[in-house]
Amino acid sequence: MKVIVLQENLARGLSIVSRAVSPRSTLPVLSNILIASDEGRLRLSATNLELGITCWIPARIEQEGSTTVPSRTLSDLINTLPADQVQLILDTQTQSLHVQGGTSNNDIKCIDAQEFPPLPVPDMDGAVQVNVADFKEMIQQVTFAASTDEARPVLMGVLVTVEKDQITMAAADGFRLAVRKATLSNAMPSPISAIIPARALNELARVAGDGEESIYMVMPKGRGQVLFRVKDVEVVSQLIDGTFPDYHQIIPRNYKSRTLVSTNAMLKACKQAEIFAREGSNVARLDIKPAQSDMQPSEVEISATSEETGRNETIVEATVDGGGMLIAFNVKFLREALEAVKTPNVAMETSGPNAPGVIRPVGNDDYIQVIMPMHLG
Amino acid sequence: MPIRLLSSEVASQIAAGEVIERPASVVKELAENALDAGARALTISIAEAGRALVEVADDGSGIPASELALAVERHATSKLVQSEDLFHISTLGFRGEALASIGSVSRMTVTSRVAESATGARLRVEGGISSKVEPVGAPVGTVVRVEDLFYNVPARLKFLKADVTERRAIDNLVTRYALAYPHVRFKLSEGKNVSLQTAGDGDRRSILAALYGVDVARQMLEVIAEEEGLRLTGFISPTSLTRSNRKEITFFVNGRWVQEVALNTAVIQAYHTLLMVGRYPLTALFLDMLPGDVDVNVHPAKAEVRFKNQDRVFSFVQRAVRRALLAYTPVPSVAPTTLWGGRPSEPREPGLDWTMARETVDGGRPTAEGQPSEASSPTPQPETRPAFNLPLLRLIGQIGSAYLVAEGPDGLYLIDQHAAHERVLFEKLMAQHGMKSILSQALLTPAVVHLPPAQAKLLEGQIDVLNHFGFEVEAFGANTFQVRAMPTLFRGSDPSLALRALVEDFEEDEAPLQAEVEARLAGRVCKRLAVKAGQTLTPEEQRALLSDLETCESPRTCPHGRPTMIHLSVDMLERQFGRKGPR
Repeated sequence: MKVIVLQENLARGLSIVSRAVSPRSTLPVLSNILIASDEGRLRLSATNLELGITCWIPARIEQEGSTTVPSRTLSDLINTLPADQVQLILDTQTQSLHVQGGTSNNDIKCIDAQEFPPLPVPDMDGAVQVNVADFKEMIQQVTFAASTDEARPVLMGVLVTVEKDQITMAAADGFRLAVRKATLSNAMPSPISAIIPARALNELARVAGDGEESIYMVMPKGRGQVLFRVKDVEVVSQLIDGTFPDYHQIIPRNYKSRTLVSTNAMLKACKQAEIFAREGSNVARLDIKPAQSDMQPSEVEISATSEETGRNETIVEATVDGGGMLIAFNVKFLREALEAVKTPNVAMETSGPNAPGVIRPVGNDDYIQVIMPMHLG
Repeated sequence: MPIRLLSSEVASQIAAGEVIERPASVVKELAENALDAGARALTISIAEAGRALVEVADDGSGIPASELALAVERHATSKLVQSEDLFHISTLGFRGEALASIGSVSRMTVTSRVAESATGARLRVEGGISSKVEPVGAPVGTVVRVEDLFYNVPARLKFLKADVTERRAIDNLVTRYALAYPHVRFKLSEGKNVSLQTAGDGDRRSILAALYGVDVARQMLEVIAEEEGLRLTGFISPTSLTRSNRKEITFFVNGRWVQEVALNTAVIQAYHTLLMVGRYPLTALFLDMLPGDVDVNVHPAKAEVRFKNQDRVFSFVQRAVRRALLAYTPVPSVAPTTLWGGRPSEPREPGLDWTMARETVDGGRPTAEGQPSEASSPTPQPETRPAFNLPLLRLIGQIGSAYLVAEGPDGLYLIDQHAAHERVLFEKLMAQHGMKSILSQALLTPAVVHLPPAQAKLLEGQIDVLNHFGFEVEAFGANTFQVRAMPTLFRGSDPSLALRALVEDFEEDEAPLQAEVEARLAGRVCKRLAVKAGQTLTPEEQRALLSDLETCESPRTCPHGRPTMIHLSVDMLERQFGRKGPR
């Protein structure tokens, strides 16, 4: 193999695929990145067997070939080379890759490309097509609500369903739920439902770049895999097996009290409360006060107390529709929920101190979050 | 097959199975009978680990010849007349089953004479069939000779353990009874081998030596505590002396050896944070209470008892043990041989020199700190813990950015700054948090948890308690529960794991969630708050740490159970410098 690439292209490609490298593995080849000539371009691939990322970069192929290179060594090296042409020459006898850039000459010991696990070659027919920016927003609005507790693998994933021209993502960790819908430009003939690891979606959002391109998603039948393609990057992930909780019945249909607040003001109040709450129980109390008179407009009082640090109390202007209420939430859940809301105002609905709290952006019906309250036992 | 009434022989063999399961049970039943008969001396002889022969001879009141035939019948006893008597039993036996049970599974000879009678009487029972009572010459008292145990129950015979094991069970049992009845002379022998002989002079420590060895016996701390209607005496091990299991936690309630989980737990809790995880103390404790306050008629072998007021007994035992322990918990002192030899000192291993513990134990003299040895005084003041758990220390400085050096009245103290600070913060935070505010986090969807039947049963009775601890649980069919909320203490989000953890707390009879609370605090203290080794402290900081440590309840160990300080006594220094000869 003899290939000439631009340093910046190679550095970018390596930074994209290296997220799927498994840094510590009993299989040495998983710590490596596959580089292969591929129809006039250079293909870079990495996988930890759960997640795989492939990226194609422009290259001048002088001689076809492939090998796998230790990820850290190659990335660190390329990042320090001058922004110029980099020449990669493989000695197939010794599996040694000669990397030359500027005045720097290096030989890296490689592992035969035959040992690298084959990544699926997708058939993009019938792919779901979504705008990159929209898809990234959807991912950012749900994945934080997924669980990190390996005891319940299903909750570490995001339920992605497609029905006609509706795509829905839902994540829950047992205490909170985030559901985001979007409309596709063209309707799908058959419905799709799969649990995709939240981590894979986060990586996808990271590597997808910005702009007006489209993300294509396919789930080849019977493979238990999902494959995303955006521009010159492919992300493939194992699906999570299992049954996702039926979240439709969790979302309350009505409420006794609805509080409208400025998202930003409420978020700030939560961040302040968290400074005190994080030392102890993480609990923030919301005292929802409807207007008593013109002199006393409606408001929400957010407070947190810590035996060690002290206490905090912030008042946020609000429009309260319904009765007053005292309700407590895990302040981290509340803060993360508000951070995900993109609209200037947000509505919080609840029916009582023991009933779920519902958070909806004002003016956007596509996004809904449910947070379960806390109470003193 | 048609249904038939069992023949009385078979029925008694079945019943015997509950009481007599191994040679040691025979010894136990016969020894208890002898003790009930007021014996001052017990001679127990066995052969082939009790399989071939168990003979228990006593000098008690004896059985009159006229009653002998009745004595070996089932449900025949002199210790109980009417059912009310069951509620204040002061004798060890009362069921009237021992002799009948033993007789039905062995060849048994009972020889007995009462003081009023000139001759004794003898009766043989073989496989439950008794012979005629015949007159015979015998000393006052009763001799029960049990030969060929289980000769007619081969199944039982098959399940007996190796001789060594059975013999050890008998040894253990007799030694423990000797401990409980120090005024009775016990002799246990197999052939010419005498494995235990006690003087009957009331000295428990010498019997303890027979049980655990002289070294251990000398280190054991004495507990004496009394509270309205409750009295706890006996011995507990210092924190240096531990076992990897709970088997050596021995309890006698009103002179009866019991295996009561609640009592064991009370003891373990008293040692809480003083022992490393997975280590358990050795105890021989004797709890005396009014017979009416305890129900012994729970289990055929009487190994379990019920208390009328379990919480009170539990907290009394825990407090008494804790008090004795805190009064004595010594600073591990370094043994001369290990000090400069380069071997790391392992202060938790028995055999090292625990000067202070020994001094107090030997003479009940004031401890090295100059405080009276509270627990050995007959009337301890409840709820007063020693004002100073540490001697007054004069700070000398810090070495290696990790240890403080201080001088006390009795030598040099090396203090691990990280461990010491951990202890200070841990006690402070525990006092702040306590178990007061348990927050409950509601679940998005109720989790359905299946439990094994035994755990489920345990849980069913405790659902109210659970709801108090931040769970919201309801029964949901057989052995199935629905969890709607769980305490926020649990790091993971899996309600079934959390619920199981709590059930295990119940099973172990430990304060529910206490372990989680403490583990979380200890973890936080250790990782985030406590000063680390390698951090240079100013003299003011060093002094503050020392004085904070002095106010701690258990200043000598960190929350993980490691020692916070090492003591080099003046005495030891003098020996190391050759000013004094070795001990």
